[in-house]
Amino acid sequence: MEALANNFQVLFQGLALGSIYALVALGFVLIIRATNVVNFAQGDFAMLGAYMMVACLVGAGLPYWLSFLLALIGMGVFGILFNYGVYFPLRHRGFLPVLISTLGASIFLQNTVLAIFGAQPKRLDNVIQGGVQIGSVFLDSQYLVILAVTMLMVAFQYFFFEHTLVGKKLQATSQDKDMARLLGIPVALMIAVTFIYSAVLGGLAGVLVGPVLFVSIGMGSIIALKAFAATIIGGFGDVKGAIVGGIFIGVVESFAAYYISVPYKDAYAFMMLFLVLVFRPQGFFGEKVSEKA
Amino acid sequence: MRMYLLCALATGVATSLIGLSAVAADPIRIGLVSEITGPNAEAGSYTINGAKLAAEEINKKGGILGQRVELVIEDNQSTNPGTVLAISKLGGRKDIPAIIGPIRSTQTQAASPTIAKLGIPTMIGGSDPSLTRVNNRWLFRCRPNDLYSSRVIADFGANSLKLKKWAVVHSTDAFGSGGSKALLDALTAYGVEPVLVQGYTNNSQDFTPVVLAIKKSGADIIGSYMTTSQDLGIFAKQLRQLGVNATWVGSASIVTDTAMKLAGDALHGTYGVADFNPDANEEATAFSKMYRAKYKLEPDVYSSWAFDAMNVIATALNSAKDTKPESIRGAIVGLKNWKGVEGIYNFDEQGDGLRGYNIVKNDNGKLVFVKHINFEK
Repeated sequence: MEALANNFQVLFQGLALGSIYALVALGFVLIIRATNVVNFAQGDFAMLGAYMMVACLVGAGLPYWLSFLLALIGMGVFGILFNYGVYFPLRHRGFLPVLISTLGASIFLQNTVLAIFGAQPKRLDNVIQGGVQIGSVFLDSQYLVILAVTMLMVAFQYFFFEHTLVGKKLQATSQDKDMARLLGIPVALMIAVTFIYSAVLGGLAGVLVGPVLFVSIGMGSIIALKAFAATIIGGFGDVKGAIVGGIFIGVVESFAAYYISVPYKDAYAFMMLFLVLVFRPQGFFGEKVSEKA
Repeated sequence: MRMYLLCALATGVATSLIGLSAVAADPIRIGLVSEITGPNAEAGSYTINGAKLAAEEINKKGGILGQRVELVIEDNQSTNPGTVLAISKLGGRKDIPAIIGPIRSTQTQAASPTIAKLGIPTMIGGSDPSLTRVNNRWLFRCRPNDLYSSRVIADFGANSLKLKKWAVVHSTDAFGSGGSKALLDALTAYGVEPVLVQGYTNNSQDFTPVVLAIKKSGADIIGSYMTTSQDLGIFAKQLRQLGVNATWVGSASIVTDTAMKLAGDALHGTYGVADFNPDANEEATAFSKMYRAKYKLEPDVYSSWAFDAMNVIATALNSAKDTKPESIRGAIVGLKNWKGVEGIYNFDEQGDGLRGYNIVKNDNGKLVFVKHINFEK
């Protein structure tokens, strides 16, 4: 009975952390699809979102829901700035300059936040205090919120991309920019929208995970590393893959830490990555595209 | 002819006077390697505060060897390579007789060969015992090493609290594994065989497996060597959430201001070893008063060790009478019962200055001084 309870506890933690990886991975994937570039600042979007939340909630003393909303709106605005500051000027220069530009943005963001907020990690309260106790299993309320919001986001994402015109335009842009342009889709605008959406997603992940992991400058980098592994495991640039990959990594590392060894916890994610690259290089959902190689 | 001679003489005197005044105006520069950027920048700012406060006080009392003291601060970006670079940079200046080095064991380990090559007396705060056992004559530890923190943890838990079922939780970095190894040795001396020894890597986002292992082991006391405040906070929260109520005696990180703020009530009732506590001795009380007045912050170990390190350097330089490395080393080792804010210093040949720790209790978010445990050897 106790073994069952422990397994359930481990599964729960894995699912919740995996959901955070998934949210950040989703941001990665959307930008990869729109621009063919890995955004190395994606983890810092989460960090920035969490700090915006801290600024509104703790700094300005606003109510939780308003702080939450303002942090997400703030991230949307930031997405626009990021698009025009980091991506847009280099968009015709190919893959590498943009990649390095995002790397630079990451360093810039971390040190700007450091300069503004100081290096001391900040505490954020749970959305709802406490949690649910079932026997010896404790479900932290924040983890429950994370799971619920991730599911909502996945549903929203599906609806948005498959059933709205903007979503379809975004899809068209990511599939073939020239064709999309010929059809009269404003490609630059669509890419800007992608950045906004990715920034909000990243910020959301940060705001959600802040109460659990605390808000610190380095929080984004830790999550981003796992999320990046998730995007590759799921299939580079695949939306379903990002979600499944993120949750897969969360659950595997949680169980492996419990059953095999705790100190090697971070290694499991990358061991999975290695195995997937060897045996299924295109990832879970990726398609084999020979001409891309 | 006589006129000419007089002129020459006057010029000579004037030149030497100019030379003299240039020496007098030239301050004594002490290097400080600290974490200004990177994940530990918060601790770094406390270290800089402590060292600056000490330098100010020293200057008020007439400086070092009659000259003003000035800090030359280098950022190590909270990394090992950054530390090596910062030390090399300070060493390359040639005008720095002593350095306040890193407080992290892993950074000290990385920079140790460079320090040995430069031959500049360097104060360190890393508490891994092995740091002063590597034939490096230039390292001087201004904190008690983990052999003592672990002996104090073991003594307090096994002797004062009389608890025998120990779980040892530690980070796998140099500090954590060094500390846990020392704790295991110290416990053996009290006839205690821990029921669980559990390592984890820094920045673990989830401690559920660790907590479940502790639960399963049935431990009644936890001894911990954890490095970052975030890890400590997450572990503390999950420990209490999953219903583990064992007594917890942690290494210094458990009683840092940040860890206590992050973890909140999850850390209430825990004990920690602290090299520094405002109520531990007169020097500590006086230092705390100055620190609070100047920075409007509570002083902690990151600031107190740097304050002591700066003062040890000043005292040693003043009694050495010159700035040669050998003289400084001799003066540091020659310090007898020197009273610092962290306790009474007696440096041995290996460079270890302190041999005791305070035990403090987190009483509803306030640190209460419990006792000072000191060892002769």
